[in-house]
Amino acid sequence: MPPAFPLLPLPVLLILLPLFVPLLAVACLGFAQGGRRRPPHLPRLAEVAALLALAAALALTVALIVLGPGRLGPSMRLDALSAIMLLLVTFVGWIVVRFAGTYLDGEARQGPFTGWLCLTLAAVLCLVAANHLVQLVAAWIATSLLLHRLLLFYPERPAAQRAARKKFVTARLGDVALGAAALLLALAYGTGDIGSILAAARQGDGGGLAVAAACLLALAALLKSAQFPSHGWLTEVMETPTPVSALLHAGVINAGGFLLIRFADVMLLAPGALAVLVVVGGFTALFGSLVMLTQPAVKTSLAWSTVAQMGFMILQCGLALFPLALLHIVAHSLYKAHAFLAAGGAVERVAAIRRPGPVAVPDAAAVARAFGAALAIYVVVGLAFGLTHKSPQAAVLGAILIFGVAYMLAQGFADAAPRALTRRTAVYALATSFGYFALHAAAVFVTQGVLPVTPAPGPLEAGLLVLAVASFGLVAIVQAMFPLWAYHPAAAGLRVHLSNGFYASALFDRIIGAWRTDRPPTGSTPSRT
Amino acid sequence: MSTATLPLATDAPLPAPANGNDNAFERIATAADRAALAIPPAWPLASSVAVNPFLGQSGEDLATAGARLARVAGAAVTPPRATYRAKIAAGAITEADLLAAWSNAPPDLRPTDLAALKQAVEHDVPPPVALPTVADLAAGVSGIDWPGLIAERLGAWAAGHFDEGQALWAAPRNARGAYAAWRAVATHDLSPEIAGLPGFALHVSEVPVNPLRLIARASERLGLADAALETYFHRLLMSLGGWAQYARYKRWQAELAGGSDATTTDLLAIRLVWEEALFARYAPAIAARWAETVAAHAAPVAPSADLVIDSILQEAAERAAQRALAATLAAPAPASSTSPDARPSLQAAFCIDVRSEPFRRALESLDPGIRTLGFAGFFGVATAHRRFASDVEELRLPVLLTPALHSAAGSDADAEADRSARIAARAKRAWGRFKLAAVSSFAFVEATGPLHVGRILSDSLGRVGATPEEPAPRLVPAQPHGHDHGHDHGHDHGHAHDDGQPPDLAARIDAAEKILGAMSLAPPFARLVVLAGHGARLVNNPHASALQCGACGGYSGEVNARLLAALLNDRGVRSGLAARGRAVPDDTLFVGALHDTTADTVTLYDDAPSAAHRADMAQARAWFEAAGTLTRTERALRLPRAGSAAAVARRGNDWSETRPEWGLAGCSAFIAAPRTRTGGRSLAGRAFLHDYDWQQDAGFGVLELILTAPVVVASWISLQYYGSTVAPDAFGGGNKLLHNVTGGIGVIEGNGGLLRAGLPWQSVHDGETPAHEPLRLSVCIEAPREAIEGVLARHDAVRTLFDKGWLNLFALDDDGHMAWRYAAGLRWTAMDPSV
Repeated sequence: MPPAFPLLPLPVLLILLPLFVPLLAVACLGFAQGGRRRPPHLPRLAEVAALLALAAALALTVALIVLGPGRLGPSMRLDALSAIMLLLVTFVGWIVVRFAGTYLDGEARQGPFTGWLCLTLAAVLCLVAANHLVQLVAAWIATSLLLHRLLLFYPERPAAQRAARKKFVTARLGDVALGAAALLLALAYGTGDIGSILAAARQGDGGGLAVAAACLLALAALLKSAQFPSHGWLTEVMETPTPVSALLHAGVINAGGFLLIRFADVMLLAPGALAVLVVVGGFTALFGSLVMLTQPAVKTSLAWSTVAQMGFMILQCGLALFPLALLHIVAHSLYKAHAFLAAGGAVERVAAIRRPGPVAVPDAAAVARAFGAALAIYVVVGLAFGLTHKSPQAAVLGAILIFGVAYMLAQGFADAAPRALTRRTAVYALATSFGYFALHAAAVFVTQGVLPVTPAPGPLEAGLLVLAVASFGLVAIVQAMFPLWAYHPAAAGLRVHLSNGFYASALFDRIIGAWRTDRPPTGSTPSRT
Repeated sequence: MSTATLPLATDAPLPAPANGNDNAFERIATAADRAALAIPPAWPLASSVAVNPFLGQSGEDLATAGARLARVAGAAVTPPRATYRAKIAAGAITEADLLAAWSNAPPDLRPTDLAALKQAVEHDVPPPVALPTVADLAAGVSGIDWPGLIAERLGAWAAGHFDEGQALWAAPRNARGAYAAWRAVATHDLSPEIAGLPGFALHVSEVPVNPLRLIARASERLGLADAALETYFHRLLMSLGGWAQYARYKRWQAELAGGSDATTTDLLAIRLVWEEALFARYAPAIAARWAETVAAHAAPVAPSADLVIDSILQEAAERAAQRALAATLAAPAPASSTSPDARPSLQAAFCIDVRSEPFRRALESLDPGIRTLGFAGFFGVATAHRRFASDVEELRLPVLLTPALHSAAGSDADAEADRSARIAARAKRAWGRFKLAAVSSFAFVEATGPLHVGRILSDSLGRVGATPEEPAPRLVPAQPHGHDHGHDHGHDHGHAHDDGQPPDLAARIDAAEKILGAMSLAPPFARLVVLAGHGARLVNNPHASALQCGACGGYSGEVNARLLAALLNDRGVRSGLAARGRAVPDDTLFVGALHDTTADTVTLYDDAPSAAHRADMAQARAWFEAAGTLTRTERALRLPRAGSAAAVARRGNDWSETRPEWGLAGCSAFIAAPRTRTGGRSLAGRAFLHDYDWQQDAGFGVLELILTAPVVVASWISLQYYGSTVAPDAFGGGNKLLHNVTGGIGVIEGNGGLLRAGLPWQSVHDGETPAHEPLRLSVCIEAPREAIEGVLARHDAVRTLFDKGWLNLFALDDDGHMAWRYAAGLRWTAMDPSV
């Protein structure tokens, strides 16, 4: 079978050198420092390496625009998806490396930390640029193992060990699923070249083996994206310095979604697997966002937000809206990287909440008006962006936007809200809707030809669409009326169970014996070194 | 309302009370109360102030407190022996220091002679280990990490319960207190049973409703002798880390306002429910060891030989530092080129904070006519202040006091700006809720996520927009209650028993006269008198308030300074002062200012613009800028990764900086004397400098004020740095790299568990060496010894701090030399003038 893409010329291939070599060199330098505090020049060199990688990603993007998509050497590819992911990862990588250089100043093992950080970045870059199954699987596993080292930067912390063990178990299951999927793909298409596999799958080739592979890919993605009930590890990995959380939540966690988008053509062969993604992703999205409401610690709240956002992204993949899933990955990564790194400002933000006076609580009528107004905004802005050409799946996502915008409007429509506030929230609602449609249009445009068009929904998909609209709509109404019911005594028990994430993580702990200890019965004051 | 005040008869799970039972109950309640008082309070991080972690032990000496804290927390109260060995080897601690400290120790406890002491220094002692709890023993026999699980579960509940607004869906409020709130949660929570404690929720549902009843029942079931109660209860509260300290803060605030609060006791009861349940389950396996533990708790708290040796070594280290200080003060003063009666070219008052010292020194070096003075940074203006466009009153005053005044930023002329600022803030808040709420969070990410590129870049590159200057504050009537709609668990802010009206002219004249006297601010007055509060401009730092002004309640001090400047510029006040013989020249202008201690810049607030003073203001700005450069250059030597003065100035804007400045690390002395005693000498940013001229202090009222307020606040600061350095696990804020802000009130490390109060490790350590040398403060006062004695005799709590060695006291003679050392019991010993 001929490769689907042309081989790009050598000068483009050479751009891979600044993409990888400086990161690997700095990693070696970092490991050589051992436990030395304040390794000279290392933070600056690491930032330079990360900047070179970012520059290389930009250069590759220019090459893509000029030359069109193609293969880079034997096992990498350059297309809209890989270019966007390279840009995202190198940008977040630069920010995280820069942050860590100052943040870890004075820490023992800053050198090895920098080393693991740079290696993890390089592994993620290998993953998103992979055009061969072997490189893909190898980079996938390497990312996970390297991340494990970063998560155990303080190996003596029991909570770090607990979370890392859960992560390890989940990740190895995911590795097995991906390995098996890769094997089945190779058998089904007789090649390890991803471009060829995608081209064949787009023709409908592959048969039962491909369908089985799609199911395993879906499983691997669910495990990697911390979908219910395997989410426990993600909400507990704040046991490591903040930059690692930022990298994890803005970079590594996207691997699952990336996998589905990369193999979008294969996934379309298995509507059943997509349906599972819709159900699990949709449930996780709602579950995660409700649990997040109850979380009093800022990073924990952000972690639950990631669970929810990944659920939403998986839902989009399940609905075959791959360009939108890609947009969601990029948007969420940028938001979450900033949110984690800026988490230290939470004291000031919480203090600021109370200063301007009480929150105006909307009643049922205000909520109804808000939903009506949001619908009107949707129709007006949507028509401007060609709403009529959209697939039913995209329309459903638009409905979810309405629900969100309605929440914004409801706060301004509350009887106690001054008119100026109503105007402002309305402007925000308009701007949000505009931004939403503009970005959607951009995502679809950029990935044209690379990602498959969303197929027309069958009866199964139609049922799922109705389910999605109904469940998100219900939660949105419940949320908008929230202050009216959340403090009713009847809701107290629900809040307890919800705040514990329905005990999925506690059960996981029990199964792997996470609370077992060998330590002698001495003092219980927390220890830190 | 507190559960402790509920009538005890409303539930009767105990047998009908006989007299003996009543007495037992009383004793248990007393022990619980004593344990609660043994815990230091921890203020929320939005306005945190330094607290003496040994507050509950200040009636004991260091060695005895060490024995107690070892038993209840496994906490050390001195640095490891190696620290002293190094100082002895380096010659910092001399043989004479060791001998003096040894001689001062109780003869029956100290080593037999100096040789034995010096031999003991060579041996390391193992770190102290706390007595086990039932949970510790249960962990040993079951292999399940019960202490860890309890900390995790209790932390999960407490974080929600004490949340001040992080979670959109807050934990339900419970008017009956923390214990009742916890029971409501624990009867639903399935986690303990999943982890291996079947029936725990049922157990919780059946415990007595009254926490004191539960404490009594658990004490009986655990077989606790009366003598064992206090340190066992203390042990349990210490196992709750910062949560117990935050509960103790609730009590502090309630008591300051004349009320009471039982949250600490509630937490003790909660912890005892766990102990009871685990004891019921594991009693057969742990009974013997538990009986030993109870016996150990019942034994009196007495220092071991090693603790006595450690406290002797600590005293020797302090004597070494005092020798150096005495030498600095005894050094010949650089001759002043101006007469003391000449009019100064500029007067600037700063907070006594140790960070003012290098800046004052630098400023004075610029012109011989510049005079600076030190005073508590709230400048005597104890105000509950509302920021611009804010309903929330911030207590900008020392935490020992209740507010005497109410103030707000902006005047009636700013009403329109106030209104639109509020709308903007409320819209921002609505946007924040849109970002966090279920469902809408997805729309938020898809519509605006990519815009975060800009925010990431500006934060990462340290492009911080200038914070808009708040309009001048003014005194206002007290706000009627009911404005505070945040979900605070009750009104815990103390309010003074004033009539709520701003003071009238007579009261303002009184206040001005009193403050000028307390500041020792007397003629000749300069044309420009700058009153500089201080603050730290920082980003992304949960512990920012620890770097603000402690005398202003953990806020920056510009509001108080601007209020005082306005008071002293008031024409009516000026003529009133003149009538009382404290005339201030008409051409003297007072100007409020803010000294940013991170960047060492000074902002002058031109609240009363005066054309006549334009040149003075320009000159002052130039001097402050030059002094800032000098100070930054000096500080750059001590800060890691600060190659230059410019690098120091940028640190506050760096969102990844864990050590923007060293705060008060290194503080070791408090000097109340005229500036001439310390001027021209470097105190290396380690001394609190309070201006005081005893000859102007008829009746020694100002001396009394200094010893009972600023000295006590300084002792809290010094001992907080001390405790966070020597006992980081018990009294330190943990590792900044892992901090996770919870409830807007504090930090936890990592996922959850215990709140961490105190200073983070990065604030007292540069990674390679401690940035703070743990020394108990040396208080030097230039005043007659009899006057000092008189004050101490009237204030037992203050006297105890000196008698038990938590503070060292020295009287300066008429030459400003350290001439007399205070020994316990209102006695003095003469210092050797040769050093």
